[in-house]
Amino acid sequence: MKYLNHLLLLVLLLVGFLLKEHIHISTNLLSLFASKESVEKLSIANHLGYSKEMLIAVKGFSKESKQNVREITKKLQSLQDIEFVQFTLTPSQDIAEYYKKYYPLLASFQAKKLTKKEVQKQLQTLYDKQLHSVFYTSIDKNDPLKLFHLELTKSATLKHKGNMIVLGEYGYLIRVQTNIPPSEMGRAKRLYDEVQSIIKVFPDTVAFAPFFYTVENSAAFKSDVQWIAILSSIVLILIYFLLLRNIKLLVETLVTLFSSMVFAALFATTFFDNFNVLSLAFGMSLTAVSIDYLLHYYFHNFYESKKRVDKNVLYGFLTTLSAFGVFSFIPIPIISQISFFALFSLSYAYVVFSFVFPYLGIKSYTRTTEVQSASSGKKISALSLFFISLILFSYSAFHFKLDANIRNLDYQNLSLKSAEKLFKDNSKSSLSPVIVEAPSKELLIENLHILKHSVSKSFSLASFVLDKKTCEQKRDALKQYNFTQLRAYIEDASLKVGFRDAYFKDAYKFAEKKQEYKLPNLNIFQSFSLSAYNDGKRWYSIALVDDAQKAQTLPFVTDINVKAMFDKSTQQMYKKLVLFGSFVLVIIFVLLLVSVRKKILYALNYILFPVALSLAVLTTLGSINIMHLFSLIILVAIGIDYGIYMSNSKKPTHTMLAIKYSLLSTFAAFGVLIFSSIVALNSIGMVITIGCVAIYILIKVMR
Amino acid sequence: MLKAFFLFFLFLSALYAQSYSFTELRYSDAIGKSMQLDGEITFKKEGLEIKYPKSKRVLDYDGEEISFFEDGNLVELPSEQISNMMHYFDILKLLHEGDENELKSRFIIKKLNEKTLLYPTNNLKYYIEHIELLKKNSTLKNIKLFLKNNDSITINITNEIS
Repeated sequence: MKYLNHLLLLVLLLVGFLLKEHIHISTNLLSLFASKESVEKLSIANHLGYSKEMLIAVKGFSKESKQNVREITKKLQSLQDIEFVQFTLTPSQDIAEYYKKYYPLLASFQAKKLTKKEVQKQLQTLYDKQLHSVFYTSIDKNDPLKLFHLELTKSATLKHKGNMIVLGEYGYLIRVQTNIPPSEMGRAKRLYDEVQSIIKVFPDTVAFAPFFYTVENSAAFKSDVQWIAILSSIVLILIYFLLLRNIKLLVETLVTLFSSMVFAALFATTFFDNFNVLSLAFGMSLTAVSIDYLLHYYFHNFYESKKRVDKNVLYGFLTTLSAFGVFSFIPIPIISQISFFALFSLSYAYVVFSFVFPYLGIKSYTRTTEVQSASSGKKISALSLFFISLILFSYSAFHFKLDANIRNLDYQNLSLKSAEKLFKDNSKSSLSPVIVEAPSKELLIENLHILKHSVSKSFSLASFVLDKKTCEQKRDALKQYNFTQLRAYIEDASLKVGFRDAYFKDAYKFAEKKQEYKLPNLNIFQSFSLSAYNDGKRWYSIALVDDAQKAQTLPFVTDINVKAMFDKSTQQMYKKLVLFGSFVLVIIFVLLLVSVRKKILYALNYILFPVALSLAVLTTLGSINIMHLFSLIILVAIGIDYGIYMSNSKKPTHTMLAIKYSLLSTFAAFGVLIFSSIVALNSIGMVITIGCVAIYILIKVMR
Repeated sequence: MLKAFFLFFLFLSALYAQSYSFTELRYSDAIGKSMQLDGEITFKKEGLEIKYPKSKRVLDYDGEEISFFEDGNLVELPSEQISNMMHYFDILKLLHEGDENELKSRFIIKKLNEKTLLYPTNNLKYYIEHIELLKKNSTLKNIKLFLKNNDSITINITNEIS
């Protein structure tokens, strides 16, 4: 029985090993925050090359800069994960062929009926230009009167000097399309290293791609987490070894926590198709809340007593379980996943701490010198603290500001941010990307044309490809025009003017042919960042528009502005959180009423005051982010236990001591995150630290 | 449209010179006749200037805009003509800086005795059949452009002014 705890861990690890093929952990953080539809649309956008673009700027417009552009381009082209590299505006051969093939339909046609006299006048002007103009004027024998005009479409997003793409006044620009999927960290890191090694030998060259953040920030994240883990371990060792002087308790606790995490991870990854790594990390942290149960048992010498159940711990556990039970149904993936994980990990920990630990031969707690009188000093009534909490809530409500920008949670990578700013500030485009979809390729083009006419400025495949209606109109216009008569006028007049005999014998015959139009391969426009993607069911393309809001009113348009998506889903998330949070508070209130009866206000303060104080401090310091909100849930889970323990305690001094050690453990697990430079971790640390301070104040001053 | 383009070739062999005089002989297949123009071209820091002294016509490109003067008066040119000319003037300017790599990226270059033949590989191939350069004593003396519509333009470099 002495090794039961270790044995259980071994069994869990064995099960984990056997099931390893079925365990899938998602690293796609987006799926946790954005709606399913938004995630799908962003995935489609990635297929269309959105966010896979890399930009490299070479400072200046000198001959040397130009040479550097060419050399960098050559080196980039040899890399495995590069789709194409572009530094000029020259249309591809495919586009030129497309223009040539469908010239009569793509070119604008001036269908004015000309008289014999007008034709002669125009030809005379043309003749004179040949002899007297300082500009060489090319005569097109197929279209001498220039009835057709084809304006080549220019990129809406790229500036240029001559034929070379430039980044404003900064220098030359190289546009690179990579094929790095957002989730493939290994490939992203390899490409990042390759690109950095290429550009480092060229002075004044800056590169930026969205995936650079993933690569650079994960390195920063790793080093940050490493030293925080060391700090956390030091604090835990200090508590258990120096203060409690019970190393066995430390080892058994760590084994139990680890087993709880493995147990919950096995269930969670089986139940959820895409259980996320962030939910796993948070769930693992929440498991540390179970230390409360252990410390309560330990300081009340539960393991030496003959009791099988400690009612206070059981009530605390059940109330926490109910809260997470409700939260596991919330339609916000990250909270439901964390809550689900917590349900299983806390249950496992409770069972082991309650029913296995008594058989492990842990030395009982004997030092009593630290136990202080619970009744010393001035005390504040529970009712007063309840009102103070309400005041703090009201203050927070007035100053509440939600930070919906998920990017703000990341490591603040100033050098990369300044590189991104350089590209943004010098960028020409004020157009926003949207996704347009349709059941077929033909309808996709129709929809793109509808969008083109719905907004005042846009750039999409509709800038190049004709829709059915325009095509028909052009065909009709050409069919109705009497080119035979015009050719007769031209032939007659050209001889009179002085042109060579029969020089214009084929004039406008190209326009008389039957005009067939077939949609081209839409991916030939990739140099304009335009393409089409078919997921097997529907066709999609990206369009750039000046008014994404207006465009979105069309049923086939979706805004893929990531910030807007997160803003929208965070707002929805907040509403759902308020709804479920209220429901959870009611359940907690009822369960507390059952377990603590008359001392309900006293117990409730252990939830309300820490949350209210945290919110008041956070709203004073700035805005509230999503990590703050998640951390408040952890705070609620901790508060429930302490509220019940303190309300029902027959030995308040022992309970207070248990809570103090428990607070220290919680600080070791979460509070140390306050020292992190990563905003997400710092936010958790901040809330938990304030919460711990608030609980400490409560155990000291509340009566 | 192509005028600006071919004028550049005047300077292939003397990239750092600034002003040149030239004679341009154009053959128009449509009328079966030729015309001759004499002119001077000057490269400036940001652009270029072409003068036709006999007809008192000046073409000035400042890197941003093209202005055409006849007898000292500004004459408005059709926008299509301007945009085409600017496009080729930029190429001209870039190549005047001695960018041989750019040239190689746009033409297939063949040598035939004293002649160098350039075959366009990009969209110029829709207008230009090929270009013939003639060098004497390592100095470019003659350029011939053979266009797709059977027109041809011959440039004779007469001397370097400065």
